[in-house]
Amino acid sequence: MMRKKRRLRRGWLGDVISYAYLTILAAIAAFPLLWILLSSVKSKGELTGNPTAILPKEITFDFFKTVLGQLHFNVNIVNSIIVAGCTTLIAITISALGAYGVVRFFPKFGKVLTRVLITTYMFPPILLAVPYSIIMGKAGMMNNRAGLIIVYLSFAVPYAVWLLVGFFQTVPLEIEEAARVDGANKLQVFGKVVLPIVAPGVVAVAIYTFINAWNEFLYSLILMNSSDKMTVAVALKSLGGQEVMDWGVMMAASALVVVPSVVFFMLIQKKIAGGLAQGSIK
Amino acid sequence: MRSRKRMIAKVTGFCFILPAMLVVLLLLLYPVMSSIFYSFTNKNLIKPAYSFVGFENYAKILTDPVFWAAFWTNIKWTAASLLGQLLVGFTGALALNRIRHAAGVYRTCLIIPWAFPSIVLAFSWKWILNGVSGFLPNFLVQVGLCATPPQFLSSAGLVFPTLVFVNIWFGAPLIMVNILSALQTVPKDQYEAAQLDGASAWQSFIHITVPHIRMVVGLLVVLRTIWVFNSFDIIYLITGGGPANLTQTVPIYAYNLGWGLKQLGRSSAVTVLLLLFLLVVCALYFRLLNKWEKEGE
Repeated sequence: MMRKKRRLRRGWLGDVISYAYLTILAAIAAFPLLWILLSSVKSKGELTGNPTAILPKEITFDFFKTVLGQLHFNVNIVNSIIVAGCTTLIAITISALGAYGVVRFFPKFGKVLTRVLITTYMFPPILLAVPYSIIMGKAGMMNNRAGLIIVYLSFAVPYAVWLLVGFFQTVPLEIEEAARVDGANKLQVFGKVVLPIVAPGVVAVAIYTFINAWNEFLYSLILMNSSDKMTVAVALKSLGGQEVMDWGVMMAASALVVVPSVVFFMLIQKKIAGGLAQGSIK
Repeated sequence: MRSRKRMIAKVTGFCFILPAMLVVLLLLLYPVMSSIFYSFTNKNLIKPAYSFVGFENYAKILTDPVFWAAFWTNIKWTAASLLGQLLVGFTGALALNRIRHAAGVYRTCLIIPWAFPSIVLAFSWKWILNGVSGFLPNFLVQVGLCATPPQFLSSAGLVFPTLVFVNIWFGAPLIMVNILSALQTVPKDQYEAAQLDGASAWQSFIHITVPHIRMVVGLLVVLRTIWVFNSFDIIYLITGGGPANLTQTVPIYAYNLGWGLKQLGRSSAVTVLLLLFLLVVCALYFRLLNKWEKEGE
């Protein structure tokens, strides 16, 4: 493989341009994250007094103390973990069964399913916001985390099914048949034979589902309005509504929200990217 | 006996997909239907009573110049964002596919924006672009490019391009990573054969690379068009549609009707129109993709 690569004729100029271009892009891509982290540990005076200084003169964690101590952001973090965690568990269970069912029992239905899922992807989130707010209001589930979880399933399940179909298609039928001969029933075959093979893919999709639920904003904005029930995204929004914006506090809170997202995403990005491309073709 | 076995297999299979189908039916189809229903009523966000008004909501919207301005802004927003995302994503993928060192490090940095929650994206860019103590405006003054700090988010001429830039920043990584994985499926020996035949790099690109990745790029364009057209968070959180409705797109217009003016019925009508428009656009796209698929076979 490597030898083959080397045989290709390549210009050094193209390499230089590629590295330079990627360096610029990477700097722009990473700058906001870097700036959030740096701003969150600077002092108040330095934030406004010296806007272009990159590194902080002295590191202080005062903003984090305000966010967690006075604003009780930890409550919102726990809300988000509950909502995103339950959404993920329920969505992955439903989607794994569904994706496997389609791949194994209704293979011809697969192409239709892709079209159906793309159509659901087409529904504007704002289109669903109106009926969700009416339905949840009627059901008395405003400001209710269980209600928000149900709403989150609406986008989590179709997306997870779509990604998982790609992973289940890689499991050879012969392995399953061998287990069937040994007397296992269909659910056992699924749980003990198929699932372990696709486990890395399922974990990746689960983490992706978690990140999407953690990041979600619109439905949470519409359905949750008491500060002790809000998810982090909406609690963060309410910080920006003050007369005088306290950017240091906003950056510290932002750091608490964005860092887990980025870290988890790094862990799974290769699997998800491949799955997206595969799932979108089939 | 055999047909009974097949029956059982079908029923088991059906049990596997039943929960997922219920989610789609109850959480997607039912709400969409109910949205269409409410679009013919004068449903209010707070009052429980409502009555049918026929096509009044649709008539009011379609004769509202603010709606058409939002629609036009939405088209510009989608076209400009998508072109930028494709350009950056595609060139980035080509460069990543070419380099041999540190590709992992570059890739890791480049995908950071993808993981950003919209609220953090909004806060971080609002802070970087802040007209008083933001990094970028002050930096531009310091290096002598501007006399006074430019007001990226409040000046009428700058706000739209700035939002598009932020959206390109956010969306390019997804496109880049997907094109990159498509590029990696192109068989290397095809390039070698082309080189032996004396083809230039440009010719190889047009005749080998492009046909291989065309389907992936086509589907990405479909999906991202829908997504960008529907996107609400970025604009709502950075400018809220302002200044003076300059950045108001259709989803923002619908939100303001429903949650600002409390007219949920009319807001529903706007979102139904939005869906209809997207359905037409997608039907056209899929025709084109089907044609490509047939040509590819």
